[in-house]
Amino acid sequence: MNPILVLGGGPAGLSATAELASLGAPTLLVERESYLGGNPKRWHYSLLAPDLRPAEEVMDPLLERVTGRPEVELRLGTTLTKAERTATGFSVALRSADTTVTREVSAVVLATGFDHFDSRRKFEYGYGRYPDVLDFKELEGMIHDDKVLRPSDGRPPKRIAWILCVGSRDVQVGNPWCCRMGCAVSIKQAVEIRQKHPEIDAYVYYMDIRTYGLWEDLYWKSMQEYGVKFIRGRIGQVTVAEGGSRLIATGEDTILSRPTEVPFDMIVLASGMEPGTGTKQAAELFGVPVGPEGFLTPRLSDLNPVDSGIPGVFFAGAATGPKAIPDAVTEGMGAALRAFQYARR
Amino acid sequence: MPIVEKSLVRVDRTEKLELEGIDVSGDWNTFLRSRVWTDLDVKVADWVRAQPGGDTIDRCWQCGTCTAGCCMHTDFGLTEFNPRYFIYLAQIGYEEELRRYAHTIWRCVSCNKCVERCPKGVKVEEVVHTIGSYLERTGAAPESPADRFDRAYTENLLNRGILDEAALFRTYERLEGRKTPTRELLRMGLALFTSGRLRTGPFAHRTRGWGKMREVLRARLEEETRQRRVPVPKPPVGAGGGR
Ligand code: SF4
Ligand code: SF4
Ligand code: SF4
Repeated sequence: MNPILVLGGGPAGLSATAELASLGAPTLLVERESYLGGNPKRWHYSLLAPDLRPAEEVMDPLLERVTGRPEVELRLGTTLTKAERTATGFSVALRSADTTVTREVSAVVLATGFDHFDSRRKFEYGYGRYPDVLDFKELEGMIHDDKVLRPSDGRPPKRIAWILCVGSRDVQVGNPWCCRMGCAVSIKQAVEIRQKHPEIDAYVYYMDIRTYGLWEDLYWKSMQEYGVKFIRGRIGQVTVAEGGSRLIATGEDTILSRPTEVPFDMIVLASGMEPGTGTKQAAELFGVPVGPEGFLTPRLSDLNPVDSGIPGVFFAGAATGPKAIPDAVTEGMGAALRAFQYARR
Repeated sequence: MPIVEKSLVRVDRTEKLELEGIDVSGDWNTFLRSRVWTDLDVKVADWVRAQPGGDTIDRCWQCGTCTAGCCMHTDFGLTEFNPRYFIYLAQIGYEEELRRYAHTIWRCVSCNKCVERCPKGVKVEEVVHTIGSYLERTGAAPESPADRFDRAYTENLLNRGILDEAALFRTYERLEGRKTPTRELLRMGLALFTSGRLRTGPFAHRTRGWGKMREVLRARLEEETRQRRVPVPKPPVGAGGGR
């Protein structure tokens, strides 16, 4: 059997690879970056919502299951440049640095994931202009190293605001969908900070809080046990206080029906999820359908969310839409099974 | 359109002004105060949380269930009495706005409908009373009769180990600065006694051997009060009293 190609080494791709290997299927894992682990690794995620387990504790066992296994051929720093259908599957061209190799594969799992929204595009929040306006993925790293300090002067902040739905649920940037993670991750960050530094006040500006299902528990705890405060209203703009370095968040407190201009030491943007660059390229190479949002569209998103509808091409993880790690891992398993069945047909 | 929100009107007035020999004193201009809310403060919530009845304040997520069923708000039509809103103002520390309700917040009749209904388990009735106490202690509201009664009741029990209704009545009268004529007292006492509502009778009551118990209780109460004590914050500069 020709190997099964797994494209993308994030949680979904790792999960698919691990399952394929345990089925004894030769697997070719291709990752664009020079490391495995996807966005969690790239941005040094701290604790993962909702169970507040360290990212390493979740990712390391996944990584262990794919490394050093005879069934798995790992290609890091490699991208896919061509894909052609053959009698037995696909012939794919893989480029790394300056060499390109062609390989025959029997099936493909696209686990190409998402990219965080580029917060600079919401220019009214001043990301990239004001050093103390952070993207929440950057705050992850700071929390991870317990160095939550204002980048402008290295001082600890006294009051932090989170702005939710940055680059999500917003026609102005063309992203009407919900990122599914922003609420939970922001709340989790606020909890982590309040745990270690109760002297820092944490405020979350929200339109809706979407900590769906059992994740609600995190939201309740954040209020009841950690005193995180929630203000309903979407911030309209961020400016810098006159003659000072504090940031001013201008918005409407929709409960007061009143405009507010509140100073903060740090403002954190919950940037949304967009289809990853790899996802867009893969869609073109394999000719798989893409929805209006730019995510890959399964043929039957209810009955078979991992089938593309194109023989031999399967999906896993955030390539088909915003997804939490547990869901990505589950889809990795599903896609592995379907790809294995296809390759053995 | 008339200006409804009178508290926001600021008149620029010159009491005595002469220009080239002509008296031009009077109202020169009328401004509307800015309604922009510029700060978030945790000190009110911190104080409320530290009190025996206020510890559930952080749970409130502003759904409005309490206000929707509140007899004061809905049945008596006192729409200014809005427990959800009081809680929010305390949560974000908007003291100036809170003070506008200093004379309304006491209107709760303790029916506890809100407590039964709140999906988050906020003890709304207690929290609202605690916010009221906060206003009282910061000088925004006078001590309410209900508060004085509570004080008289606690003292009575603590002193005697048993409720002495006659003594309770006397203490409360004193706190209120009121004196009911003896004849009226007798009439009321008789009516209560014959209807079985006055159980302890007109003579002083005391639980035997209560002295030791009282000392222990007092010590414990003092200890608890000390532990819970969060300094009452100073009122914000320029915050007006109730309307
Ligand atoms: S998950 Fe929360 S932050 Fe993200 S788009 Fe949905 S509502 Fe906004
Ligand atoms: S019902 Fe409970 S949660 Fe809802 S507004 Fe009232 S106190 Fe808050
Ligand atoms: S206890 Fe007070 S606040 Fe609660 S419903 Fe009754 S009157 Fe309203």
